[in-house]
Amino acid sequence: MIKMNNIVKRFDNHTVLSDVTFEVKEKEIFGLLGPSGAGKTTIINILTNQLKSDSGSHEINVIPFETGLMLDEDGLYVRLSCIENLDVFACIYGIPRKKSMEALKSVGLIGAEKKPVSALSRGMRQRLAFARAILHSPKILFLDEPTSGLDPGTAQGIHEIIQNLRKNGATIFLTTHNMEEAVKLCDKVALLHKGRIVEQGAPAEICERHHAFKTVPDLESVFIKMTGMDVQ
Amino acid sequence: MRSAKAIFIKQARDLFRNRMMLIQFIIFPVMAFVMTEFVAKSTPEIPSSMFVTMFAAMFIGMTPLSMTAGVIAEDKEHNSLRFLVMAGVKPHEYLIGTCGFTFLACALVSLLFGLIGGFTSVELAKFVAVLILGSCASLLLGATIGLFSKNQQAATAISTPTFMLLAFSPMIAQFNTNVAKVSTIFYTQQVNTIVNNLTDGIMKPILIILANIAILLTLFIIVYRKNKIRGKR
Ligand SMILES: Nc1ncnc2c1ncn2[C@@H]1O[C@H](COP(=O)(O)OP(=O)(O)O)[C@@H](O)[C@H]1O
Ligand SMILES: [Mg+2]
Repeated sequence: MIKMNNIVKRFDNHTVLSDVTFEVKEKEIFGLLGPSGAGKTTIINILTNQLKSDSGSHEINVIPFETGLMLDEDGLYVRLSCIENLDVFACIYGIPRKKSMEALKSVGLIGAEKKPVSALSRGMRQRLAFARAILHSPKILFLDEPTSGLDPGTAQGIHEIIQNLRKNGATIFLTTHNMEEAVKLCDKVALLHKGRIVEQGAPAEICERHHAFKTVPDLESVFIKMTGMDVQ
Repeated sequence: MRSAKAIFIKQARDLFRNRMMLIQFIIFPVMAFVMTEFVAKSTPEIPSSMFVTMFAAMFIGMTPLSMTAGVIAEDKEHNSLRFLVMAGVKPHEYLIGTCGFTFLACALVSLLFGLIGGFTSVELAKFVAVLILGSCASLLLGATIGLFSKNQQAATAISTPTFMLLAFSPMIAQFNTNVAKVSTIFYTQQVNTIVNNLTDGIMKPILIILANIAILLTLFIIVYRKNKIRGKR
């Protein structure tokens, strides 16, 4: 569904990604893990064709219309209300307006639909950005740190929606620096460190592989072991 | 054209929530109305349509320019443009939606000015047509500044002195012949000339306005090619 082969990306002679290779299968939840500055957002930008890589190739097996996107900046229209923000995109996609309401409902923003974005809390804003990403029922969803900075309750809500979307056949590519989230949600993860993938596989598999390092292996300790840093 | 329509509607909704922009649409016709009713009508020496033409010409130099520049720069700064592009919106659809709404709003306000001015129907048609032509020039310049600027602050830094120059030089030109010589090449001066002498021939001023539009369009195309609408900073 999503493939990246030997991708290299430099910004003014500073290598940000080196030889990144991975594959995401259909209906998988794939987690790209790494501390900030590792290159996660850069990978999403390359996959969504917002940025060109210096070498290597990538492919996505759906048309652009079928991808949904949540980036590190939400790009919401601050003076418009929640529902008006979604209506802009419903109109662009040519889907019925009732979809906007459904999307708001699925992220628990019913009751706040007429509030301007500038009056929303951070968590509500993030949920609105999420609603916009899933508005047109995309087949692939790119989520750049979908729960960063959210309270546990809201994050939990977003996790449930992600799992439901997968049940309905969506493929999900998410980035996070939260190991717990990765273990809970992802079928497969890749650990990114300074632009290199240092480990990938199913979370349990990775822990298994590094069993010798620690008596009670968990993904976080593997990560700290691999990168020599505390990611939290 | 679905996308252009979506952006047009968004723009319309946004204008009524954006006080700074809304005021630029309201203040000029309101001033024109107040000054005409309470000053011009009671002072025989002042031509009855003087304030209408003065504020209308200022409006044309200022509002379409700063609104277009501001909207495009804001969409870039807040990353909204990125999401539009990712949703498949083409650059020309974005520009049609954004500029199209500003154009319509300016055309309506121009008509309002015309009605306040109490012109004959021929004069009214001429007056509105010239203001609309002037709006086109201002829109093009505003869009160029918006495309060129990284954020709203940069856009304001360029658009404010630009519209000050364009909107106010015709006024200063009345008292200063040197300024008058320079300002004849500006479309704002020509709009001013036409709306102040609606019974005179308009061939030459119209040609100068069209030349302005041609130059601004060229400038716009150059900047547009260099600053692709990707929504990336
Ligand atoms: N446009 C850019 N120009 C120069 N350097 C950049 C640019 N974008 C990202 N970088 C650099 O690339 C590295 C990876 O950034 P990013 O992909 O945003 O990391 P992450 O999302 O994992 O936090 C960082 O060191 C960052 O400073
Ligand atoms: Mg990032």
